[in-house]
Amino acid sequence: MNPRRVLRIARWEAGRNAGTVDRRTAILLACTVLVVALVAPALVLYAPTPGEGVYRVAVDDANPYHAPVAANDRLSVVPPGADAVERGRADVAVVGTGGFVVADSEKGRAALATLRSATEAYNDRLMATERDVAAAFPVTVDVSYVERGTRVVGGSDGGTASDGTSDDGAGAGADDGGATTDGDTGATESGTTTGSGAGNGASAPEATPSAGGDASAPANTPGGLTPPFPLESLLLAFVFVLPLNVVIQSYGSSVLDERIDRRGEPLLVSPATRADIVVGKALPYLAAAALVTVPIAYAVGAGVPAVLAVLPLAGLFLGVTFLGALFARSYKELTFVTVTVTVVLMAYAFVPAVFTEVHPIAAISPLSVVVRDIRGDPFQLGGFLLATVPVATAAVVCYGLGLGVYREEDLFTQKRLPAKALDALAAPLSSVRRVGLLTVALVPFVLIAELFAVAALFVAPPDLAVPLVLALVAVIEEVAKSVHVYAGFANARFERSTRTALALGVASGVGFFLGEKLLLLTRLVGLPDLTVGGAAFGNAELGAGSLALLVAPLLLHVVTASVSALGARRSARGYALALAGAVLLHLGYNYTVVSTLG
Amino acid sequence: MLSVSGLTKTYGDVEAVRGIDFEVADGEVFGLVGPNGAGKTSTLKTLAGLLEPTSGEVVVNGYDAGDPEMRRTLGFLPEESPLYEDMTPRSYLRFFADLYDVDRETADERIAAALDRLDLDARDRPVGDFSKGMKRKVAIARSLVNDPDVLVYDEPASGLDPTTTNVVIEFTRDLAAQGKTIVFSAHDLHHVESVCDRVAIVSDGRIAAKGTLDEIRSAHGRVEYRAFTDVEVPGAERVEAERGDRARYRVRVDSMAAVDDVRERARAAGGDVVDIRTRESTLEDVFLAVTGGAE
Repeated sequence: MNPRRVLRIARWEAGRNAGTVDRRTAILLACTVLVVALVAPALVLYAPTPGEGVYRVAVDDANPYHAPVAANDRLSVVPPGADAVERGRADVAVVGTGGFVVADSEKGRAALATLRSATEAYNDRLMATERDVAAAFPVTVDVSYVERGTRVVGGSDGGTASDGTSDDGAGAGADDGGATTDGDTGATESGTTTGSGAGNGASAPEATPSAGGDASAPANTPGGLTPPFPLESLLLAFVFVLPLNVVIQSYGSSVLDERIDRRGEPLLVSPATRADIVVGKALPYLAAAALVTVPIAYAVGAGVPAVLAVLPLAGLFLGVTFLGALFARSYKELTFVTVTVTVVLMAYAFVPAVFTEVHPIAAISPLSVVVRDIRGDPFQLGGFLLATVPVATAAVVCYGLGLGVYREEDLFTQKRLPAKALDALAAPLSSVRRVGLLTVALVPFVLIAELFAVAALFVAPPDLAVPLVLALVAVIEEVAKSVHVYAGFANARFERSTRTALALGVASGVGFFLGEKLLLLTRLVGLPDLTVGGAAFGNAELGAGSLALLVAPLLLHVVTASVSALGARRSARGYALALAGAVLLHLGYNYTVVSTLG
Repeated sequence: MLSVSGLTKTYGDVEAVRGIDFEVADGEVFGLVGPNGAGKTSTLKTLAGLLEPTSGEVVVNGYDAGDPEMRRTLGFLPEESPLYEDMTPRSYLRFFADLYDVDRETADERIAAALDRLDLDARDRPVGDFSKGMKRKVAIARSLVNDPDVLVYDEPASGLDPTTTNVVIEFTRDLAAQGKTIVFSAHDLHHVESVCDRVAIVSDGRIAAKGTLDEIRSAHGRVEYRAFTDVEVPGAERVEAERGDRARYRVRVDSMAAVDDVRERARAAGGDVVDIRTRESTLEDVFLAVTGGAE
């Protein structure tokens, strides 16, 4: 690759695109960037909390409950009066110094529960200002012995399971175990009945009953976690990812434009190599993604880790779009490709990021690094690697596959999309060894697909999620081991003999066995500890253990890859049947491993 | 110097080129003619390094086709003129000159010279505004920005109006006069005849005839004799009489012996052969004869 030519092509590509944007579009784009730049900091600073002020509490300014109510986002103060509830002006009315009138509805009861927790949090903050900490937070220890065997999975830090609404981790932890006195408000949850008060005004907040959660509850699904809804994370994720869609639209059009009317043919005849052309054309778009990401990161208070996490994602957006634009036969097909790319990759980046700080599954998304960075959480190398390495490697592999078909006879032909995909896979297969190497190169996609499957299914009950993940993993891995072998046969790269098929199967199986060690990245954030994570990634870990455990997965991959290769040498139908057989074998193996090793 | 030996090219199950051999000496103009789908474009693209041969060898100026160094010494003009429509001729040509590592001053000189000779004045307007002929001129100029020794032109005058066609053909003659080695294909055989030193007729992926025009004519062409009689004889066709003359009849034969035979028959009918004319085969005749009239 010649850097000077790469930069010349990049400059030309950037100039061409700048030249094709008319003044009106340029103004529109500038306005959009400006709005994003202005809105992003506001989103961070003033992101509305879901349910802000949703519960109305009628309380007098002088009442001790006024301060806790005013300090809580979900509570709003309305003018006092015992009839406030009856008239529908309030969900809870504080009467005197401890009596409550509660609306006879779900909302009324939820309002009362919120008032309780708000009062607790207020008390904790109040106590934290006391000089005598021991007096403010007396420690009570209850010891009870339980049998081992109950596996608590997921967010296990003490505070998170107790109370999602608390801002104060210390306080949330302190209330666990019922340390707070239950003062019993005596609020009868009817529309009009007034309960008995709880002490005098000065001590009223302390008398408010604890609303703490049950820390021993299993927390392996969002239902169990009741996580705080991370609207901020979602909005930020959107702000970071949205501009990438504009970039890939422009990039995809540019790549396809080279193919329409053979426009790119003269470039291929020039001394510029294919790599010069492809890298040169991609650079401006990667630079554009960086140029958009950096100001956004700056605006929302993120730093270098956030930018470094988003850039591989931008690379994957571009890489998949590049492949799609090489395969598409028209702008219509390109639109289909870019929309699919956008939806799939945004889902991959977006959905897990929702659970940042709540669940280890979030670590698979580069956006979780962004969110953690914005929150000022310490940098975690393991999480960063898991979030970025598979995505970055997958981007590189996309470009590698695309380079293989960036030539006259593939660029300008009108083959169907699957046929072109097979051409791209077959292009690098010049020997049996190359088959093994390509299998290794496909492993990042396997990792991404499996992480995606885990992210999609971890919300499901384990009885359903585990078999589904086992099946999906078997399908994903068997396809990754065999699809290029089939492409090689279909494109007459190899002789259709049993011996060749077996050699290719062994090469692919060994390649996959070595490549799947990348899946050990998941160990960095403890994904295999999850029920579904263990089902998906447990197999990769087997190879890291004793000799017997090393041989088992190697044997599995070699056998199943050989089965698929034997089918692939015959025909498309033969491949489909053999692949189904390989998947069943793999599924049986996975099921045995999961059943045996728990 | 350019040589092609045993060249084959297949696309899937389709054999586009089935073993082509030819050599082109320095400064020679070599034409490839043949019907659509004969394998001309595949051959030219292989010469330019765009296509990888399925088998065989292509060497240009001592380099294998496709070698980046070979590309520096070669200028290629594809059948169409695919340009970036938003660019001006000047910016487009400068871009390609940069890719060939031509310094700006030299590039500007070459661009100006080529566009002057091709009579293209609009150099700073977007190419998208241009006619097909103007675009073709820009594409030809692009093939010259690196001052190549070898030019490979695929149908350089295809689809152009007569005036532009003449400019392009004259320009090609100029390039030949400058000592450039040129390989080009054309549908209009008149252009091939007027420009090429040697010609290969390609049919069905193979070379059906090759050599100088005279060599090809003598090998594959023939001389046609037209005997005109003043009486009707078997096999004759009536031609229009000129201003009150008696009706005349024409018989086409391929030898003087056959003409004598016609004369005897005419005399037996009370007339005679009144005129004999000859006509040599054109390249088109040879082409049609060799390719079986395929088009």
